[in-house]
Amino acid sequence: MGYIRLKDIRVSYDNKNNILEGLNLDIQKGELVSLLGPSGCGKTTTLRVIAGFIEPNDGQFLLEDEDLTHVPVHKRNFGLVFQSYALFPHLTVFDNVAFGLKLKKLDKNVIQEKVDAMIKACDLEGLGQRFPKELSGGQRQRVALARALVIEPKILLLDEPLSNLDAKLRINMRIEIKRIQKKLGITTIFVTHDQEECFSISDKVAVMNKGVIEQYDTPEEIYAHPKTEFVARFIGFENFIPLKKKENHVYVGENGALFHVDNDVDCQSCQATIRPDDILVITSVDNKENILKGTVEVRTFLGKSYQYEVATELGRVVVNSSNEHIYESGQDIVLLLPANKIILV
Amino acid sequence: MKKSLKYLLLVPGIVMLVVFLVMPLLSTIMPTVFDQGFSLKAYIDFFKDPYYVQIFMRTLRVSLIAAIVCIILGVPTSYFISRCHPKWRGLLMAISIFPMLTNSVIRAFAWINILGKNGVINTILMNLHIIDEPITMLYTEFSVLIGTIYLFLPLMIITLVGVMENIDNDMMEAAESLGANRLTAFFKVVLPLSLPGIIVGSVLVFTGALSAYTTPSLLGGTKNMVMATLINQKSTVLGDWTGASVIALIMIITTIVVMKVLNYIAAKLDKRGESNA
Repeated sequence: MGYIRLKDIRVSYDNKNNILEGLNLDIQKGELVSLLGPSGCGKTTTLRVIAGFIEPNDGQFLLEDEDLTHVPVHKRNFGLVFQSYALFPHLTVFDNVAFGLKLKKLDKNVIQEKVDAMIKACDLEGLGQRFPKELSGGQRQRVALARALVIEPKILLLDEPLSNLDAKLRINMRIEIKRIQKKLGITTIFVTHDQEECFSISDKVAVMNKGVIEQYDTPEEIYAHPKTEFVARFIGFENFIPLKKKENHVYVGENGALFHVDNDVDCQSCQATIRPDDILVITSVDNKENILKGTVEVRTFLGKSYQYEVATELGRVVVNSSNEHIYESGQDIVLLLPANKIILV
Repeated sequence: MKKSLKYLLLVPGIVMLVVFLVMPLLSTIMPTVFDQGFSLKAYIDFFKDPYYVQIFMRTLRVSLIAAIVCIILGVPTSYFISRCHPKWRGLLMAISIFPMLTNSVIRAFAWINILGKNGVINTILMNLHIIDEPITMLYTEFSVLIGTIYLFLPLMIITLVGVMENIDNDMMEAAESLGANRLTAFFKVVLPLSLPGIIVGSVLVFTGALSAYTTPSLLGGTKNMVMATLINQKSTVLGDWTGASVIALIMIITTIVVMKVLNYIAAKLDKRGESNA
């Protein structure tokens, strides 16, 4: 039983096209879960259903077994951080953070105490009397986080909170978010389209596509064993080779080549996928299995390695290979697809 | 171009201003303060006459109430329009501005038809037997007020929609997520952020109402004169050009004072960092 449960959520604006289609998601207390997917996959919609801005056409949203599907936003007590931060420009940092507490009609001294503590926790000391316009991007981000956390929310919802920051600040901020989240033990849902960002901070990741969750697992599991072609593509698998099952752990390609696969799945014809980094370019052909022959078409320099686009008998394959051996375009090469690196989807 | 030469570019503008603004203004002011030497007698006389003071106060009252009513009617309407889908927003804006496209004489006559003794309102109320005698609405301060509000509400709406469109919807949602219901969020976030628009709109409505002539003269009759109609009476009916100038100057000063006061209030209330001040 999850702390947060989404049951068969369907959202449609025109009753023809579903933005979310029977979405199910269970989140345990204290977890940081990411919703990962390309734009338009429904991840923000899911977040807005949880926040209460969108009432689903069907389905239920439960928090600790209490049905909150139709509870208005302002009665949910969830902390929200927006992509735009949405700080109130007419209020100082202090008043922005105090906004939620003032609405709860808390005692002035209590508000002062809590806001000061949160400002300190978010590393904003001395900025209390500044206005949002006078802050840097990272500082605004932290004010938005402080404002959401000071109300002691049951859930923290983050909608692409890092996408307006520059690369270096993003990495610092995501560590910061993780640190604060673990310290407070607050259940957090994080929406992002950035795979690296999401893997680095999440306990679990839900990869979404076209309104459904394609895979819901730990980042390690998703990275190593994507379950569908979409997930594999989204997290950097570029090569897809159609194979047919011959016997357990042995598959055959359209050209008759045999492939051993360590991680067998239950399918008759499926696609083998492998990361460009995991393919080896070999010189001597001493075994006949897991081999693909092809011709280099394009070579591009990536810095730490070269990337080759190779035309093989089973289609185009992308390979990353170290700088030690450089192959020219037009050159025939042999590729080894290690049995433990092939994933079937 | 030489540095000194570039000031030559200012000459046409300055000539225009001097000939068509400064000189007429001076020739308006001069006779009112020079009566065998400098004297403010004309102004003192104006404010000593209860009849004129009454007109002055009526003008102020009508303009002030019109501005306040336009805020009360304009703020929710503008907020609604600004939150509409852009497709509907254009249409709604067109509808709200529509009255401005008709001639003010025609608009005043429309109100005569509605408010008159045999007008639409009285006919309906009489036929429903709610009243036995027609209510006098036309040629009262009330009818002047109605006409003025009708005249200037579009100005308030245009100004406010422009400001409110720029208030990000995230802001409202953030307030809601922090525990504010829609109404509280509106008063705590949208209203303070609309303040610059409300001030500009109020200045436009107030100054417009202060100097409006057609509407008060057609809907107010001779009993409910305002400053603008008084000027007309002084100058064209009585031939008292100095008297008309005195009133004109009082109106100019009133406008300046009101604008200064509103700007001061705006600066006091709207502080969002030095960069915006």
